[in-house]
Amino acid sequence: MSELLQFVITGITVGMIYSLIALGFVLVWKSSGVANLALGQLILLFSWFAYGMLSQAGLPAYIGLPIVIIFSLFLGWVVERIILRPLIAQPILSLITVTLGLSFFLEGLVSFVWPESQATLPRLFPQTPIYIGTAVMGQEYLWAAIIALLLFVLLTLYFKYNKMGIAMRATADDQKAVQACGIPVTKIFSRSWMLACVLAAVSGVLMSSIGSINHGLTSAGLKSFSVVILGGLDSFGGAMIAGPIIGLAENLGGGYLTPLTWPGVREVIPFIIIVLVMFIKPYGLFGEQRIERI
Amino acid sequence: MDLPAGTRNFSYAEDMTIFRTRTQKFLLFTLAAALLTAPLWFGNYWLGVANLIGITIIAATGLNILTGYCGQLSIGHAAFMAVGAFTSAILTSRFEVPFLIALPVAGIVAGIIGVLVGIPSLRVKGFYLAISTIAAYFIIMWVINHWNNVTGGFMGMAVPPAEILGINLTTQSSQFYLILAITAIVIFGAKNIARTRVGRAFIAVRDNDLAAEVMGINLFNYKLLAFFIGCFLAGIAGALTAHWVGFISGENFSLTESILYVGMIIIGGMGSATGPIFGAIFIRLLGEAVTRLVPIMENSLSLPAGFATGFGPMLFGLVIILFLVLEPRGLHHRWQLFKASYRLWPFSY
Repeated sequence: MSELLQFVITGITVGMIYSLIALGFVLVWKSSGVANLALGQLILLFSWFAYGMLSQAGLPAYIGLPIVIIFSLFLGWVVERIILRPLIAQPILSLITVTLGLSFFLEGLVSFVWPESQATLPRLFPQTPIYIGTAVMGQEYLWAAIIALLLFVLLTLYFKYNKMGIAMRATADDQKAVQACGIPVTKIFSRSWMLACVLAAVSGVLMSSIGSINHGLTSAGLKSFSVVILGGLDSFGGAMIAGPIIGLAENLGGGYLTPLTWPGVREVIPFIIIVLVMFIKPYGLFGEQRIERI
Repeated sequence: MDLPAGTRNFSYAEDMTIFRTRTQKFLLFTLAAALLTAPLWFGNYWLGVANLIGITIIAATGLNILTGYCGQLSIGHAAFMAVGAFTSAILTSRFEVPFLIALPVAGIVAGIIGVLVGIPSLRVKGFYLAISTIAAYFIIMWVINHWNNVTGGFMGMAVPPAEILGINLTTQSSQFYLILAITAIVIFGAKNIARTRVGRAFIAVRDNDLAAEVMGINLFNYKLLAFFIGCFLAGIAGALTAHWVGFISGENFSLTESILYVGMIIIGGMGSATGPIFGAIFIRLLGEAVTRLVPIMENSLSLPAGFATGFGPMLFGLVIILFLVLEPRGLHHRWQLFKASYRLWPFSY
């Protein structure tokens, strides 16, 4: 029984980080219609950058982490300005492929600057484990969940009350109408990329403070795709709900199915969920099915 | 339209001819002669590169039919190659099926799996389809990597060399002729598929599938047919890889390869018969240049330790991004411009 509780708690907290990554995806997808397949590599890059700041440069966390955030804002701006701005209104195929090219580039960059295959961040959270009933949980899981929730609340408020946030939602609805209202659409695009990169940076630091920094982090990006597919591509709430579901399915499936099937089943469960969603409800739980006209 | 001044078509047969003018025929003859005698000129190493390019052209042509003509994005192409490779490997090594039967069977099995993966394409497109092909890639590779008593799992399996009419194709040059022949057939077939009813239907589906459906094109049939043809060719390419390399495991068919195939058809120019050829040659030669240049550069300039592993991906990523930003129509478009200026010389239009 304690095993089950353990799986549930770990699954939900890890799933919330997936939600955070997925939010970054949904943000960019909604505002600019770009599918960012380089998410996993962005997470990897930011985790290594955090490692570079905190461990290699030896900065304390209250200086190092803001630098990571500033770097992520800058990178988001650069990526949008240089790579995606020239491709506005190109077919979706080009937009997907260019982010794949970006993912190659980032992966090369990471192994160029940090040739180590593995590293750990200095501890950001207290170490004492927490006992919930019979289950034991590292405190960093709890912190990760709290930070994820906090960011979700902040984002919701941002989209509801901030002028820029409202403009972003409007852009998601109709780009041309927004442009006609005098809101610079390109600025919205660049804001959404910057925000998405910050989310990737935060979730990267959270993931690598739970585990270690290695190439496995890119698979977190892939898993977040199953989150957005399950939740619906254009739904923030969907991403937030689907994340823990994917995390739960992954952990429970990994825990109970591995003896029945082959090892590594944990890694494919998110993909099996993608295929199932595609067959049953392709636009996800909360996704909007757009009616097309010729 | 593409004919030089003074050449007129007087019959439909003339209009449909691929190689129409004397220059084209001469160039074709030269190219054929050069390729057929290539083993005399090239060493084993470069023949190996040529074989890799040939196999890549076959797979890229398949992806081009699926993505370039029919507009169905697939990022899991390497998984279908893997299916073809292991099918052929298992058939020839365990059941001693002749290579000439195993090869098409490998293609058909890969095609059928491709059709299964393609079923969601009837309801979704664009990013949804891209993600479901990635998901299919991981599921297929997971099965291949863990089905130990069939595929050998992570250990991989040895593949006997291809055997045609009692002749074992063990040397690079004999493999070269086999791959050359199949590549030529595939290119010719792809060129002709694009000009038939099927190809036109694919293009209509790509440009606007709703409009195509209203025009009376059966989306169900044509989308799945595109998946079948694309994955069939991937399976053929995979089977050829298996018999060429002689030993395969899941590692031969990485997600990176899949992405590179998408990059190839983008760089070559999508929706054209020559595009995949340009793209495959460009990417493979670039890869070759990277593997040869990196050690030299590393020795002569004292570079950081991560240079060797990081340089290749960075360069490939940069090339894909630059092509999409600066030359989205690919090398094929450049080739067209070159042909036009050649035809019109010395005038500019």
